Amino acid sequence: MSSFSLEEAALMVERPEKSEPLGLFFWICVSWIGLNVFGAIFANVLPLPNPLTENFNAINVGPGLHHLFGTDDLGRDIFSRIVYGSRVSITVGIGAILIGFGIGAPLGMLAAYRRGRFDSFLTTIMYVLLAFPAIIATIAVLSFWTPRSLFKIILVIGVASIPLVYRVIRTATLSVATKDYVIAAKVQGATDRRILMKELLPNIAPIAVSFFLIGVATVITLEGALAFLGLSVNPPTPSWGNMINEARTVLTENVWLAFFPSLALCLFLIALNFIGDRIRSHFDVTEVKL
Amino acid sequence: MSDDKLLIVKDLTTTFATAGGDLPAVAGVSFDLARNETLGIVGESGSGKTVLSRTIMGLQPRVNTTVTGSSILDGFEVVGASENEKRTIWGTEVAMVFQDPMTSLNPVMRIGKQIDEALRVRLGMNRKDAKARALELLELVGIPSPVQRYNAYPGQLSGGMRQRVVIAIALACSPKLLMADEPTTGLDVTIQAQILNLLDELKERLKMSVILVTHDLGVVATRTSRIVVMYAGRIVETGTTRDVFYHHRMPYTRALLESSPKVANKSHTRLVTIPGRPPNLLSLSDGCSFAPRCKYATDQCHLVRPELQPSIEPGHTFACWNPLPINAEATLP
Repeated sequence: MSSFSLEEAALMVERPEKSEPLGLFFWICVSWIGLNVFGAIFANVLPLPNPLTENFNAINVGPGLHHLFGTDDLGRDIFSRIVYGSRVSITVGIGAILIGFGIGAPLGMLAAYRRGRFDSFLTTIMYVLLAFPAIIATIAVLSFWTPRSLFKIILVIGVASIPLVYRVIRTATLSVATKDYVIAAKVQGATDRRILMKELLPNIAPIAVSFFLIGVATVITLEGALAFLGLSVNPPTPSWGNMINEARTVLTENVWLAFFPSLALCLFLIALNFIGDRIRSHFDVTEVKL
Repeated sequence: MSDDKLLIVKDLTTTFATAGGDLPAVAGVSFDLARNETLGIVGESGSGKTVLSRTIMGLQPRVNTTVTGSSILDGFEVVGASENEKRTIWGTEVAMVFQDPMTSLNPVMRIGKQIDEALRVRLGMNRKDAKARALELLELVGIPSPVQRYNAYPGQLSGGMRQRVVIAIALACSPKLLMADEPTTGLDVTIQAQILNLLDELKERLKMSVILVTHDLGVVATRTSRIVVMYAGRIVETGTTRDVFYHHRMPYTRALLESSPKVANKSHTRLVTIPGRPPNLLSLSDGCSFAPRCKYATDQCHLVRPELQPSIEPGHTFACWNPLPINAEATLP
């Protein structure tokens, strides 16, 4: 009857339950983002035509064998321009959010952990900044701060994202900071630094990671909007946003010129959002376990 | 200062500044605790027992809180000490066992690691020694196959097991005082007894003092040597466990005792309750806080607050104008 000891039985019972799989669509999204990032990094190594070479013998050619996505009104290869354009979008997306997290996340955690006057002061400032529409602010700054460069764009959007990151991280930390295990660590003599790094950070990590990805998506949209208004990198350097902007003028002659960069932007954002959302719910203990 | 006292609390007051005014959660509490003694702090919800126990170890909220009086733990004045100073006694002098083992362990850290942390940070042990000591501690608190459990996450353990781990963490730096705030409220009854017996046994073995904070008189009855009864932030009766149970003078203590369900009662016996509700601490009267709910209350009770006065037994004090007669027998719950 009993071929195993009680001890073994107990261990069997308490073996961790297999966590719910992330699903096929999640991995498709991850592969898609991976493919885009790969393209952005290795664009000049890949066998792509130069995105800046104009060819007046092949203007506004539709999608085909020779030019996969066709050519634009200056005869430049659209596929190549999209791949090169992803460089700007992805760099701005990740760079700006890194600035936002680099400043907003530590401040948010510290404010939620310290509370008191420090928290009230910082939160008030952040909420005032938040009340001001980010897009208007970035447009205003970028219109006057010329000549525009990738670095300046990243910096301006990055600074604009600080209050957003601050708010999310502060709220996430608040809900963890009052938990007994944080007090328990404190009464074991743990320093504030240790509590922030070992108790709070791992517990807000799922929310932070998911917000990071969704933040990248938001910033890419913002960059697209700025580029559409002609406030991103200067032409002829392609970015998804300024490609759509340029396509606007020839929309009646060549619909593909607007379609493909829009599609690229759209698929990239959907994939990022889905991954972010999936990660959040995957690590959300309450949602998975109940 | 006598050396046999581990903890001397004098006139300790904790006031929270709230939107409605100052809220005295603990008001002028004094008592002391000998080495290797177990003290019970009892009272209903909101009586200030948790705030008291946290203030004793300097764990009150950082903001909007004023603490006056004194709480001297093994020669260290906790009141007024900075966080950095208090950090030197937390863990090594005083440690805490929490009410709910579901929330008092970090869900994303292996339990072994959570015990190691304290050992490595506070006692400067290296990885290997800390692990050996952590396994010893797990063994000590009665966790079967500690080697396997060492790598488990809190979510993989049952409530009773988790509470044992919480106790192991508390014991990591061999504290002299263990503060157990409702250590069994989150557990079912059979596990409650196990955990309380474990605390008892550990106290004897490690020569600690224990403060057991609870609303359950059954918990303190056999395991404490002395009891402090709190009501509305004040001590209303204190004495040896025996005196408080059999010779209590304060009507509130009697009411509390009577409202414990008793196994000897026939089934469907109505539970005895204390009429009314605990007072609003923002608008306390000048009189006895329990007067509005007390059947013995007189005009004097409503107007003047009674101070603690000695009863006939040594160390037994109570705060009441109309105390119950001496030797008022009550049945143990």
